[in-house]
Amino acid sequence: MEIIKTENLTYTYPIGEKPAFSNVSITINKGEFVLLTGPSGCGKTTLCRCFNGLIPHFYNGTLEGKITVAGMDVTEHPIHEFAQHVGLVFQNPENQLFALSVEKDVAFALENLGLPREEIRRRVDWALEVTGITDLKDRAPYELSGGQQQRVAIASVLAMKPDVIVLDEPTSFLDPLSAKKIFDVIGGLNRELGITIILVEHRLDLAARYADRIIVMDEGKIILDGKPREVFSSEEARLVGVGIPRATRLYQILKGMGLDLGGVPITSEEASKMVREALTRRAPSKNPLGRREAGTQVLPAGKVGSKNVIEVEDVYYTYPNGVEALRGVSLKIREGEFVAIMGQNGAGKTTLVKHFNGLLKPTRGRVLIDGVETRGVSVARLARKVGFVFQNPDHQLFCETVEKEVAFALKNFGFDEETTRKRVDWALNILDLTEYRDVSPFMLSGGERKRVALASVLAWDPEVLILDEPTIGQDYRQKERLMNFIMQLNAQGKTVIIVTHDVEFVAECKPRVILMAEGKILADGDPHKVLTDLNLLERASLTPPEASQILEELKDVGVDGEAIDVYEVSRLIMERFKSGSGVENP
Amino acid sequence: MSVFDGFKFRKVSSPIHRLDPRVKFLYVCVTFTVAILFIQLIPLLLLFLIQLPMILAARVQREWMRSMKGSAFFAALIFVMNALSLYFYGSFDSVFSVIERSLAVTVRFLVLIASFSVFFLTTSPDHLGLALEQSGIPYDVCFAFTTAVRFVPVLAEEAQTIIDAQRARGLELEKGNFMSRVRKYIPILIPLIVSAIRRSLELAEAMESRAWGANPKRTSLYVLKIGRGDYYLLAASILMLAVSLYVWFYVPIPSLS
Repeated sequence: MEIIKTENLTYTYPIGEKPAFSNVSITINKGEFVLLTGPSGCGKTTLCRCFNGLIPHFYNGTLEGKITVAGMDVTEHPIHEFAQHVGLVFQNPENQLFALSVEKDVAFALENLGLPREEIRRRVDWALEVTGITDLKDRAPYELSGGQQQRVAIASVLAMKPDVIVLDEPTSFLDPLSAKKIFDVIGGLNRELGITIILVEHRLDLAARYADRIIVMDEGKIILDGKPREVFSSEEARLVGVGIPRATRLYQILKGMGLDLGGVPITSEEASKMVREALTRRAPSKNPLGRREAGTQVLPAGKVGSKNVIEVEDVYYTYPNGVEALRGVSLKIREGEFVAIMGQNGAGKTTLVKHFNGLLKPTRGRVLIDGVETRGVSVARLARKVGFVFQNPDHQLFCETVEKEVAFALKNFGFDEETTRKRVDWALNILDLTEYRDVSPFMLSGGERKRVALASVLAWDPEVLILDEPTIGQDYRQKERLMNFIMQLNAQGKTVIIVTHDVEFVAECKPRVILMAEGKILADGDPHKVLTDLNLLERASLTPPEASQILEELKDVGVDGEAIDVYEVSRLIMERFKSGSGVENP
Repeated sequence: MSVFDGFKFRKVSSPIHRLDPRVKFLYVCVTFTVAILFIQLIPLLLLFLIQLPMILAARVQREWMRSMKGSAFFAALIFVMNALSLYFYGSFDSVFSVIERSLAVTVRFLVLIASFSVFFLTTSPDHLGLALEQSGIPYDVCFAFTTAVRFVPVLAEEAQTIIDAQRARGLELEKGNFMSRVRKYIPILIPLIVSAIRRSLELAEAMESRAWGANPKRTSLYVLKIGRGDYYLLAASILMLAVSLYVWFYVPIPSLS
């Protein structure tokens, strides 16, 4: 039975020149779990806004074509009538909770509907129970972690008992473990309560397993619509830059090397099961399988010098409100190193890196930048050496043009006009922003704004570059570009420090990993060691990379070694095949 | 820690926290009236002492001390200003009575701060919003009030992040003369305003999606019920007012001097 149906739907925002999406015709049936994906700006969020009437009632603009939700024409009924059929959960957990306690927030919609008090009470308790947050009911939303807040948001739409729940990138601010919990909750709602789910996501590794169907959009059009296995193995999916699950990617790589697993895996469990079967099925062959070598990613490694640019000696830091964020941290970072500082939100990562440019000064212990102690040195002087790109570009952009934005810091540092001009040209050029020179940064897309923020720091060519959560809200393509850019900078000798909880990103870049939890360093070293230590990862609320999860399941059949990305795993698997001995007991 | 922590709601489970905010507010009003009624030191000191058991019962003494410490400077200022002006322009016959009167004015100030502090420390903004709602104030207004309270810490944190981000780009807020310093706040204000606008749009979107305005007769999950504790406080407030009025009219208040 259909619950949402669109026919040739086309929509243009009031200020838009061209449609945000055009000629979209889809039918979504009751009980389906639909994953909607595609590059940033492809129109997926806009499409979601039509499902409960935010478009056209809240956003105006021009909507052409037909759309019916739960049998009602969207253009003819007010938003609050759809609210009871379609619940929307948004990306930013902070901006969708209103009340000062969780319970009150979950009750908000029901109160608006004017339901009897006993009914509200019953439904609130039920929604809290189903989403597993009953014990949080008296807490204030700002006391909760992002993952908990997002579960509150889900509970608050669930309480309306909707037919459909639409979630627009609900996990982009969350660490992998919290993201997984969210997906589990959503999966449960779909399976046990039969609620139709439309999930907009870039993190397909985690989300794909729950989906019955995947819709891929690009440039305002639906380009693929089908079962996950079909969509992921299609050529178009790869071309538009959909971040296909790593398990599927492994299948493709192995196929390229001459090993056909016989089916398309979309989860790590499936992939390892298929490899295992292939190992037992195949008699050891004399002629090696490999038609060509594994398409190894050649990573340009930076030259690490002998000088310590950053030295942290037994640093403690307590915020004015009494929160002890760092508790005895010591580390050294050498010139030209590439370092990832990882850990869950609140582990002290950002607090630590704010010590590197003097934004924070240690309560106890000391920090040396290029041999100079930060205490008593101004942020402006330290910032000359240590550039810091903040997570959200909107926290720093304020100028009328991109050019002025990039020149801002140079003026503060007192560069002369000639040098400023040269530097700005250079920074705009390497970040591919020259064409936007005279455009207001506020008119640019999210990804472009992020690049402007990066350019505005890179412009003064600091020795050390710190990037705080650079991958948040970025699609697959943008992440890939960012990775190449960072590697390139590092290869040219720049010390690069990234603060992140994006395990897959780190697994692909392979920097030195510093793992933090509760204000302390848990581990520090090679990513192959740190990211495969389940015990450590659990303490830091991280999950191992997909590739090592696949490998873990294959250890007992003789595929052994260290691998954190799919290329490395594929190589190990091929070696195992070449080594010849069959498997006796799979 | 700032003085404001002495006025910020602290979640503790105590009989005072459970009281109806309307009754608590009435109590604060009575305290105010009584404090204004008297100008002599002894009744004002008594009034101040009456606040103490309530603070202990609410288990917020540490935060309450903070508000007291924070107002110590103003208290001293009030004392000195009063003493000076009474000494030079007043018609008191001895220095001792000048000091007594100045002390009385200072204690009056402290009583006002103390009772306000207890009220805000023990009343959650949610309860306050609820009290507004059930006093017949339109829901839109109450909602605006609670949302504002809800977003104060969020915006404060955001402002700090923006300041950090701009300082990381070499902005030196503390340098330069007054005008250039004012100008330096532009890089902080613009992102803050832009983000607040973006935030409010997202909030509006989320509200619409949760059936905002669906039913003109909105239900509220919680109802404030006047309990036994509330009756006690109500009785105590009325008694306090009555005794004060009686004393004010009929009992000559002894002076220390």
